[in-house]
Amino acid sequence: FLLPAPLCLLTLLLPPLGLGAPMSPAEPISQAYSLALYMQKNTSTLLQTYLQCQGSPFSDPGFSAPELQLGSLPPAAVSFKTWHALNDRERLSCAQGAFLALTQHLQLVGDDQSDLNPGSPILLAQLGAARLRAQGLLGNIAAIMTALGLPIPPEEDTLGLVPFGASAFERKCRGYVVTREYGHWTDRAVRDLALLKAKYPG
Amino acid sequence: MPEDYTPDVRTDYIAQMMDISLYLKRPSRMGDSKRMRMTSNFQWLLLTVLLLYLMNQVNSQKKRTPRDLKCITNNLQVWDCSWRAPSGAGHGAAYEVCFENGSHSCYRLEKNIKLPALLPGDHEITINPLHDFGNFISKFTLNEKNVSLIPDAPEILDLSADFSTSTLHLKWNDKGSVFPHHSNVIWEIKVLRKKNMEIVKLVTHNTTLNGRDTVHHWSWISDMPLECATHYVGIRCYIDDPQFSGRKEWSDWSPLKNISWSPASQTKVFPQDRVLLVGSDITVCCVTQEKVLSAQIGSTYCPLIHLDGKNVAIKIRNISASESSGTNVVFSVEDNMFGTVIFAGYPPDIPQKLNCETYDLKEIICTWNPGRPTFLVGPRNTSYTLFESFSGKYVRFKRVELPTNESYQLFFQMLPNQEIYNFTLNARNPLGQSESTLLVNITEKVHPHIPTSVKVKDISSTAVTLSWHLPGSFAKIKLLCQIEINKTNSVHELRNVTMRGIENSSYLAAVDKLNPYTIYTFRIRCCTDPFWKWSKWSNEKQYLTTEAIPSKGPDTWREWSSDGKNLIIYWKPLPINEANGKILSYNVSCSSDEETQSLSEIPDPQHKAEIQLDKNDYIISVVAKNSVGSSPPSKIASMEIPNDDLKIEQAVRMGNGILLTWNYDPNVTCDYVIKWCNSSRSEPCLMDWKKVPSNSTETIIESDQFRPGVRYNFFVYGCRNQGYQLLRSIIGYVEELAPVVAPNFTVEDTSADSILVKWEEIPVEELRGFLRGYLFYFEKGERDTSKMRVLESGRSDIKVKNITDISQKTLRIADLQGKTSYHLVLRAYTDGGMGPEKSMFVVTKENSVGLIIAILIPVAVAVIVGVVTSILCYRKREWIKETFYPDIPNPENCKALQFQKSVCEGNSALKTLEMNPCTPNNVEVLETRSTVPKIEDTEIISPVAERPEDSTDAQPENHVVVSYCPPVIEEEIVNPGADEAGGASQVIYIDIQSMYQPQAKPEEEPENDPVVGTGYKPQMHLLVTSTVEDLAADDDLDKTAGYRPQANVNTWNLVSPDSPRSTDSNSEIVSFGSPCSINSRQFLIPPKDEDSPKSNGGGWSFTNFFQNKPND
Repeated sequence: FLLPAPLCLLTLLLPPLGLGAPMSPAEPISQAYSLALYMQKNTSTLLQTYLQCQGSPFSDPGFSAPELQLGSLPPAAVSFKTWHALNDRERLSCAQGAFLALTQHLQLVGDDQSDLNPGSPILLAQLGAARLRAQGLLGNIAAIMTALGLPIPPEEDTLGLVPFGASAFERKCRGYVVTREYGHWTDRAVRDLALLKAKYPG
Repeated sequence: MPEDYTPDVRTDYIAQMMDISLYLKRPSRMGDSKRMRMTSNFQWLLLTVLLLYLMNQVNSQKKRTPRDLKCITNNLQVWDCSWRAPSGAGHGAAYEVCFENGSHSCYRLEKNIKLPALLPGDHEITINPLHDFGNFISKFTLNEKNVSLIPDAPEILDLSADFSTSTLHLKWNDKGSVFPHHSNVIWEIKVLRKKNMEIVKLVTHNTTLNGRDTVHHWSWISDMPLECATHYVGIRCYIDDPQFSGRKEWSDWSPLKNISWSPASQTKVFPQDRVLLVGSDITVCCVTQEKVLSAQIGSTYCPLIHLDGKNVAIKIRNISASESSGTNVVFSVEDNMFGTVIFAGYPPDIPQKLNCETYDLKEIICTWNPGRPTFLVGPRNTSYTLFESFSGKYVRFKRVELPTNESYQLFFQMLPNQEIYNFTLNARNPLGQSESTLLVNITEKVHPHIPTSVKVKDISSTAVTLSWHLPGSFAKIKLLCQIEINKTNSVHELRNVTMRGIENSSYLAAVDKLNPYTIYTFRIRCCTDPFWKWSKWSNEKQYLTTEAIPSKGPDTWREWSSDGKNLIIYWKPLPINEANGKILSYNVSCSSDEETQSLSEIPDPQHKAEIQLDKNDYIISVVAKNSVGSSPPSKIASMEIPNDDLKIEQAVRMGNGILLTWNYDPNVTCDYVIKWCNSSRSEPCLMDWKKVPSNSTETIIESDQFRPGVRYNFFVYGCRNQGYQLLRSIIGYVEELAPVVAPNFTVEDTSADSILVKWEEIPVEELRGFLRGYLFYFEKGERDTSKMRVLESGRSDIKVKNITDISQKTLRIADLQGKTSYHLVLRAYTDGGMGPEKSMFVVTKENSVGLIIAILIPVAVAVIVGVVTSILCYRKREWIKETFYPDIPNPENCKALQFQKSVCEGNSALKTLEMNPCTPNNVEVLETRSTVPKIEDTEIISPVAERPEDSTDAQPENHVVVSYCPPVIEEEIVNPGADEAGGASQVIYIDIQSMYQPQAKPEEEPENDPVVGTGYKPQMHLLVTSTVEDLAADDDLDKTAGYRPQANVNTWNLVSPDSPRSTDSNSEIVSFGSPCSINSRQFLIPPKDEDSPKSNGGGWSFTNFFQNKPND
């Protein structure tokens, strides 16, 4: 957790080793948990940077539009009861699906913003970093699923053809939803992994 | 059409009616004027009734004939004429219409007639209704002027909308084929909005008819997005045919066509992603099924404009430039937000400072400045295209993600055999475009690359070749290159080389006129001819040229050693530009007629050689050698030609150095040599020398070795054939400083009024300048007083002597006071300032002569007086004895004292020694006030100083003057022997006292003391006064007049001189003498209290001395 970020990322991005050999799930869980915690630290910064670049009213203090949602991105919000009742496979599959969608959406938002805000390299860098971390977490979740002997769901194109004709305003809103949901999903992933960590102690 | 037609017919009808009524009115008006005189209301009524009857008659007749012929045309070819049918005619009534148009033609028809357009002019038309009342034929005169031209209502072929640009496109046919000739058409188009059809636009559009059917287009950009509300469009026309003389009227409006946007189920905001010019206005609407609560642009809320349904719009005026992500417009509904982004910016500025040049004649690089920012980024950013019109080629500028205000650049590949290029740079963004052009002959715009691979090769010790690489194909042009030659500690030199450009980029140039064995730094830059820009300087290339033989022999000088046996030869290392290489060694040879001595291979750092020579005339030659060869020898003669009349002169640096001048000497043939050294060094002393050509008469000696305050000796030698002769010897300073020490001085001699001071010279090292003099200060003063510290503050009591004669080494200070301490200060000074001071305290001797005189004279006088007195007394001893102490005193002879009588004359109270009035035992006592008696010490205390005080004390006193005689008589009786002795001494004392006492006393005492005693007075001057009664008179008399020993009576009873008793004398009881004294009588009669203090001061004594002192 205290490792320098690039080194940490490098280790996390490595493909899970030895797929054949059964591995203790504790280590990938711990790694994924560390990464999720690290991601959690930056999600609000990403959201703030993102909103700051979109102009008013997005950049107004206290901006929030919870009503905005994306059909292609599963919402992280879930009732506690439902969440608690999830089994490992469901829990990991949900996270896997969400972060898969998030990586694709973050890529999309990055492209959108390079049109809208080509003069904001900080935002573009943060979006790129968030996408890389989401990919890293995806890999970690896959490692956990492998370690637990769970089937890994196939990767899907969650975006499809829909979003390309979006207007600038839709892109801004879309980016807002993506960066917001990225934070929510990261928070949820931290909880998920904490639960798994407790369940599978090292 | 029918509605419009009816009013036109009515107007015609009314016009006809008016004609008739006017016609009828005329006769009635004449009748009216006749009846006016009768003036009756009845007549008026009658007239009206008549008029109505007549009109009715006319009307009823008209109603029976076709009337109100009205002709219109919509194509100028056919006139459509119609008339009003007679009142009785049925619907299917037929008419025969005949008209004259070249030929008489009649038509049988029902209602109206379409006749071809008639020629201009009046045409008669008869209309005969073909029913039973045959005789009612109407005749009309038809003229083109009465025909109205009313075109058919145009028909909209197509109304379409471009929603993205909010543009309506209208298409219609002008049906020009139906019109016989060309004419202008005015179209009026109206645009209506919303369901309540507010007119938002009404425009006219002019076209011409050219005999063919033409489809016209009209486009209109709506200020409101077309999606926001339904838009309706209608059109009508007006044909302005100049050949048609009749009335022209607007056609009817075409049927309205509308454009509406079929709203999807979801809410949308229009327009989306619109790019706008800063400052323009825009309407943004929200097409929605929900209730819009608010709308805002950025953070500013805007009032809502309600459209059809729940659609709303906002109007944004004078929009300001957007940030890079655009300006957001947001509509908020209950639980959602919808919006759009507007990008407000500027069209591209004209590209500024467009400049095209080439580095290598292979590729053209064009740079420009974008000018004013457009505020549009990303896909809306300005795109640039560089187009070359001669070749038709172009290059596009690739979008930079981070636009900067720095210059943009584009590369354009040069085309073979094309030198002139006409570039057009086109800048384009969604708001517009601009361009800038440049016509350039590229061979004149060559900015070569930096030359690389600079190499140097030897040609000789003074020439090299330089080669370098200059990328580019300059085969057809000339190159001008500049070679910068840098030599250490020298100004850099630029040499231009012109050369033909070559294809393979390697260039070569020779550089000559270099110095051997010198480090040069070369660098190169190039430009083309004609000049456009220099390339950057190439990297520096350092090169050491090869060695050559030294060009000159070393500068040589010689000195004889101090013992005169050896000749020391000095030479200076050759400067680098004369050495032409590294000097390895020197060869020295001394040759005379007889012999030659030589020292060879003296290694370089040594610049001195010593050769033992006799005093012959030698020629010394020194040769420097480097690896290439030997220098020409430099020669110097050993002989020194003596010069007798030499003076040592002084010089101080003026400006840069010490200026030495000498007179021109024609004998000096070779040169002058000035050598100098530190004067404190021992011989042979040589710091440096300088050679000056023989034609000069002055030189300035400069050296870094010169230090201020150090004395240097300069020697000017003139060179003759045989040798050098010393011409001048100069001592000098580069800067004079103040001496560091004070001259050491001593007092040679002191007397009572003068001091002789002697000092030593200050050593040259410590003098630090030419001595200009000494300052000598002196004043009275003790060693420990501090006032000497402020010696120079100009106090008047300090005496200063400025000794400018520096050869002077002594000074006598006269007019001093004897036995006084003097503070003496001596300091030296140069032009550089004052040296430190040295001080000394000297006490002058006592003035012995004066003292001796002061002592000797009184002693001598006293001795002489004593001797004279003694002689006199001896000589006159008989007489004295007879006079003063006769064996048997003869009162007759008592004349010796009678001389006093004259003194006492005038004093009635004086009865001294007057026998007759002297009645024995009769004492006269005068009352006196007591005062402090004083004893005068004539020897110690100056009588001048003491006397007045004494006299003032004495003034108020009333001395007790006692008749002298009785005691004398009494004494004489009692003790004649003692009287005799007392009488003998009395004479002396009278004399001595008369020196002082009578001077003052006669003035004072005679007045107050009429009975002052002038006879015998005791040595003790007891001025006893008394305020006593008669009883005390006796005692007082005793005290004052009785015999007293010369002893100090005070000491007997005064314990200590400073005891209180001695001063507090009023209460003191003083007793004089001891009980065994001759004055013991006093013991028996105690003195009065007041007397004793007076007697205290009596007598000369130490105690008295001490007591008196405080009074002084």
